[in-house]
Amino acid sequence: MGKILFKTENGKMKFEATSSQQLRTGFRSDRDILKKRSAKYVKLLSSLDTKALTDVQGWKQLMDAVHEEFGTAELASLPLGIVSKCFLGESYEVHILDLSGSQIIKHFKAGEAMPNDFEKARSLAVHNSYALIEVYTDKLVLIREDGTTTKL
Amino acid sequence: MPEVSYADLSAIESALSTINHNIATVNSNVGLLSDVQQAMAYKQDAMDAELKQLREAFEAFVALDAKHKNLQLAETRVGNLRQELQIKFGYYAEIRRMATGILQGVDTGVVGNETIKSTTEEVMIKAPGYWLAPALVALASWIRDDKSTCNKALTECLKRDDYKATLFFMLLTRRLGRNDASLAWLERYFIHQNPQDLDREFITVLEAVTTGVFHPAARAVMMKHVKNWLNQLTQGDQFINEQKTQWIKFFEASKPPLRGDKYPLLKQFAKNWVLLENSLRDVHAQEILHGHFNSIISSSYDFSASIKTKLDEILSQLVTNFDDEELPLQKQVRLNQLIIEKDGDKDAAQAVMDAEESIFKEKVDFLQMLTNAAFNPEAAGVTRVTQALAVSISQPWIIEAHDTFTAQSRNKFPQTVELVIDGFATSTKNGSDEKEQILKQENFYASELQKELGAIAFPTAGVVIGALIGLAGFIFGWIAGLISLAIGGVMIWNNINNVNKKKEQVRTTFEERKKKAKEVLRGCLAETVDYRKELATEDSKAENVRQLLISITPQDFSSVSQETARNII
Repeated sequence: MGKILFKTENGKMKFEATSSQQLRTGFRSDRDILKKRSAKYVKLLSSLDTKALTDVQGWKQLMDAVHEEFGTAELASLPLGIVSKCFLGESYEVHILDLSGSQIIKHFKAGEAMPNDFEKARSLAVHNSYALIEVYTDKLVLIREDGTTTKL
Repeated sequence: MPEVSYADLSAIESALSTINHNIATVNSNVGLLSDVQQAMAYKQDAMDAELKQLREAFEAFVALDAKHKNLQLAETRVGNLRQELQIKFGYYAEIRRMATGILQGVDTGVVGNETIKSTTEEVMIKAPGYWLAPALVALASWIRDDKSTCNKALTECLKRDDYKATLFFMLLTRRLGRNDASLAWLERYFIHQNPQDLDREFITVLEAVTTGVFHPAARAVMMKHVKNWLNQLTQGDQFINEQKTQWIKFFEASKPPLRGDKYPLLKQFAKNWVLLENSLRDVHAQEILHGHFNSIISSSYDFSASIKTKLDEILSQLVTNFDDEELPLQKQVRLNQLIIEKDGDKDAAQAVMDAEESIFKEKVDFLQMLTNAAFNPEAAGVTRVTQALAVSISQPWIIEAHDTFTAQSRNKFPQTVELVIDGFATSTKNGSDEKEQILKQENFYASELQKELGAIAFPTAGVVIGALIGLAGFIFGWIAGLISLAIGGVMIWNNINNVNKKKEQVRTTFEERKKKAKEVLRGCLAETVDYRKELATEDSKAENVRQLLISITPQDFSSVSQETARNII
């Protein structure tokens, strides 16, 4: 399992919005959840392999994109993480951008088990029709390359 | 010296030999008995198998018989129900024919005032609850300028069925070119509507206005209302989610059964065949859906008949469609028709009926009305043009529902094919790993063979006895020793030979099993390759369906009022 850890000034980046308690209580209507994702967001998050995001700047850029997409007012309803297809090499299958506090991108090989919440997104993440899968505690939101969404 | 007397033991000896003989007989009889027992066991096995066959055949027969009976019953019932409809509401049908006739008569001026007058008064008596009867009276009195009768009849007519009467006069006045009257009726009609609780025939108005049978000003009136309704209904999740759920159900209901025996080996040897089969059925729905939507879209292209014909069609639909009172009977007719269509399969008929059921709901919200028109235009009482329009207005949530249906089916794709062949369990992703799989299978058989061979014990006892006998002869001198040595040698050789033969037999059986299993494995892998290919090909058709749905725009489906429909969205 390959890991990219993001360095921060104080060694640990706090991301206050992602406690699971808040995620459970945050309510959004389907119309909100299903709104089309911006091209910038899709592009940035689906190119995690090719971009060198190993520094503070990269992490910040990613988080900014996520914040911008979901709006700062709705921090409570951010996904736990984002799963997408991994292009690192033959043996790698998917990777997770973990938004739940560990601030890492984890790459997984075929057959390698993913953390519980994320495993359910795996087979869809591998499918060519979806660019990203947003994983929430109670649902998956599939994002196509054009930014259109499907809730599952 | 006492005399030694010899007892005669011959009698005892002969008795002993008789006993011996008898024991041998008993022994052989016991042997015979065990043979008989074995034969019995074989027979019982055969009987079991036959019984099982018989049971299966019987169950199949019972199921088939039930279907036949259902079919016959449904056929009888359809006849009876139609008869009942005819008895209870037959006169409604007559009034409908009469209304059509009067409309045509008025058009051509063939039917005289007197005829119309007498006919219409008669219908008032014969159909006391039907709205169309006073409508005909109002029409007739209007034709002969009898204002007071006309007003009375109109009031009665509106009392009986406000919506239909309003619609009737709205269309009628439009047909006769009374634009102001027609607009007034239309406005009245819309004011009475509640988008969350629309009357069933509202779709007919939508159809009338969108197909351009009204004065252009009517479009503005409709647009104003429909736009408001859509805004109102698509704000929250409830209404859209309801429609989405129905569409997903509709997509699921279009899953075809798998034709033929395309993957016989997988069916037999894949542990997860049910899942594999289900996924295949899921993806095969896509092509059917593509055809379905395509036919809806393309059938509307030949929409070139004149506005007047369309008005006639809508008006005649209005006067020929079922009345609410008739619905319960019409529902039963439909169910029995479906049972006939499904060859007596009641469950399948009920499933289709359930999917269609909301069509028969007397009151619907605007979005539901669109869904009804899109699912089954005939049942919803609309033409194919309005079906296409309904699909195009519902397009955003049809796409959402299709996306969900597709994602759900993709999420269920089995990642591996789990094979169990002759005790050898393995799993393959796409069948392309034949080399590894064959190697795995060889290893499996090698280890199984070792286990089996290990279970055949070395004949230690036989060898030891042979050796002892071989050596025993030397007690009596070397010639006897040589003879006994030969005997002992033969015994040892025999024992070892027997074991070797057994081992050889096991090896041969294993070779045979391995050969067959290898063929099966190769076949399964080949079928897996085909399966994955078919699954991917059919699954990719989902994207075509999506593209097709995205390409649907409302302006394609209304010949005259293109901008109206576009503005609705």
